[in-house]
Formats: sequence, C-alpha cells, structure tokens
Amino acid sequence: MKISNTPKLTLFHCLNSFKETASMFDGCEARTVKMACSSMTKDVHLLRAFESGADAVLVLVCSDKGCRFAEGSIRAKKRVEYVKTILDDIGMDGRRLNIFNTAAKDEGSITNIIQDTIVQLETLGPNPALNRRN
Amino acid sequence: MITASQKPIDEIVDLIKPYQKVLVLGCGTCVKTCFAGGEDEVAVLASALRLKFKQLAQNIKFEEFTIERQCENEFIQEAAIAIGRNDAILSLACGAGVQAMAKRFEKDVVLPGVNTTFIGIRESPGVFTEECSGCGNCGLATFGGVCPVTRCSKKLLNGPCGGSRNGLCEIDPDTECAWHKIIERLTALGQMDNLKTYIPPKNWDTSLSGGPRKLIREDHII
Ligand code: SF4
Ligand code: SF4
Repeated sequence: MKISNTPKLTLFHCLNSFKETASMFDGCEARTVKMACSSMTKDVHLLRAFESGADAVLVLVCSDKGCRFAEGSIRAKKRVEYVKTILDDIGMDGRRLNIFNTAAKDEGSITNIIQDTIVQLETLGPNPALNRRN
Repeated sequence: MITASQKPIDEIVDLIKPYQKVLVLGCGTCVKTCFAGGEDEVAVLASALRLKFKQLAQNIKFEEFTIERQCENEFIQEAAIAIGRNDAILSLACGAGVQAMAKRFEKDVVLPGVNTTFIGIRESPGVFTEECSGCGNCGLATFGGVCPVTRCSKKLLNGPCGGSRNGLCEIDPDTECAWHKIIERLTALGQMDNLKTYIPPKNWDTSLSGGPRKLIREDHII
C-alpha cells in the first residue's frame, strides 16, 4: 500500500460558515463534513475523525451572535474545548483540534486558517495514533 | 438519581490494559442523565481509548453497548451475549450497577469506569447537586423539603449556625445555605413553628454508619 505523507485535515462546518474554493486545501488531503447547524458538532464525531486518519480537525462556525439557531456556535465551542481536553489526556495534543468563527464569503480568512493549520502540523507531526509514516 | 463522573482516562487505561477484548457498557438511566455513562459517553470513551491504545501499539478491541439499567436483572440479561465475547466489562454504571453486573456474571471481570458521587438532581443544564444522603430516617417534613443532613455543610439539625451570608454558606460561598432555604420554605408554608421543637442528635443506625443495609419486602418474596 502506498503511504501518503500529505497532511490530512477534516473540516466540519455549518452551512453559513464555509464554501470551498479550488486552492483552499492546497498542501493537504481534506474531508469536509457539512452540518445543518454548528450545534450538531458532537464530541464523538470529532474523535472519530482522528480515528479515521485526520492529523488535524477544524470546526468552522458562525459568529456567536450570528448563529441562526441561537446558540449553535457557543455549543460547538464548548464541545470542541471538551474534546481538546480528551485529546490532551490521551496524548494526542488538543492543538490538533480547533474551532473558528467564519463566514462563507470570507474565503481569504478560511484559506489562511487551513494553511496555518498545515504549518502547525509541521510542529505537531502526524496523528500519533496512526503509524502510516513510521 | 445517582450521579457519577468518568474516571480519569489514565486510570481507565491501567484498569483495562491486561485485556484484549473490552466491552464498554453504558447504563441508560441515572448516569446517562448526568453525562457519565449513557450511550453517548460510551461512544466517546471507546473512541478515546482506541486512539490511546493505538499510540501504545496495543491491540485492544472495544465493543460498545448500553442497556437501560445495569442494576436490574431484567435489563442486565440483554448484555449477556456481548459479555460472552469479551474478556472484561468496563461498566459506566454507578457502583450499584457495577456490583449487580459482577453478581450476575460471576466469572467475568467487571471494572468501574466512573466514580459514583451522590444522590442528587439536575439543578439546571449541566449542573447537578447533592440532595439526599440516604440516611434512612427522612426528616424533610420538618424542614420544609430541604435536607440539612445533606445540604448544610455542618449537618446542623437545629440551625442556622449564624455564619450564613446573603443566603450563602460560610464554609463555601459557592453553596447555598441550607438553613436559609429551610427558613424561606417554612415561612412560605406558614410552618415556622416547626423550628420551635428541639431536634435531638440524629440516630445514625439507620444510615450506612449502622453497617450495610438491606431492604426486605416480604410481600414481594415468594
Ligand atoms: S445502575 Fe446505577 S446508574 Fe444505572 S439505573 Fe441503576 S442506579 Fe441508575
Ligand atoms: S433526611 Fe435523610 S433521607 Fe431525607 S433527604 Fe435528608 S438524607 Fe435523605
């Protein structure tokens, strides 16, 4: 089996916070997961993204006040914080998981977030639960 | 309800590392309500453990299953097949549930995945408070439905102590003064006279201090 060295990123997003453009994911292999609302961010889904091979997981949500379903972004943020503690506890490093408030039309900011994550992965290294580059 | 919180992951890792196949078994009643051991928590813990053991290069297979109640034989039975194909059960039920499993499956290893904490209620979303110590001789009628045995830091039966500040306990300002609550409730009920009666020192024989307790209902025994 061919082993890939390209960083793998899983990106969860609500309907209003993300729209993919051609070069956004340059330098990484990406999976995107669309959620009707950021309140659907679930701890187990974030962990399973890592089980499925993600080196980093991003969650993009509306601004706290911009959520159409009132508290979705705030709930998502709390769950991400919780999963970060789990990742720290199991030696995976909570910095592999991050949440940002974005707007779909702000493609420049989203590209920067993704590219910064790829740069950060140079320090964090690959997902330690998967030995594909060992 | 019985409240509990998950044990630290490192402790759970040490408990389960001698085994190859582990059943993470949830309980769908009390511990589900306090987010310690329901179906969702089983899924999160199993996922976290898989990630942990992959890093340790130890191949443990985790099966996930949740039954309605681990403290009742009728429900326990539903887990029998899953238990049969695993080496150990990591139970996310309270201590009663863990022991009920161990009684029913005498030859199986049953490990506690949570720390059982208290009998309480869901005060508000995400906040659970201790309300009853199971003393075996309930005095709530005298105290307007507020338990000083459990909720007064000093367990005073003839309170308040005088240290109450703005309705908060002098021992811990994050705790409501139980006696402040008792007086509020008795005032509202027009039962302040209840407090004119001296309450003698509590007889703790009926509590756990009197030894392990058993409840027997002859009319239900054939
Ligand atoms: S096993 Fe414990 S947590 Fe589960 S229903 Fe029974 S008392 Fe509640
Ligand atoms: S008086 Fe005893 S039984 Fe009644 S609520 Fe308090 S601890 Fe529980």
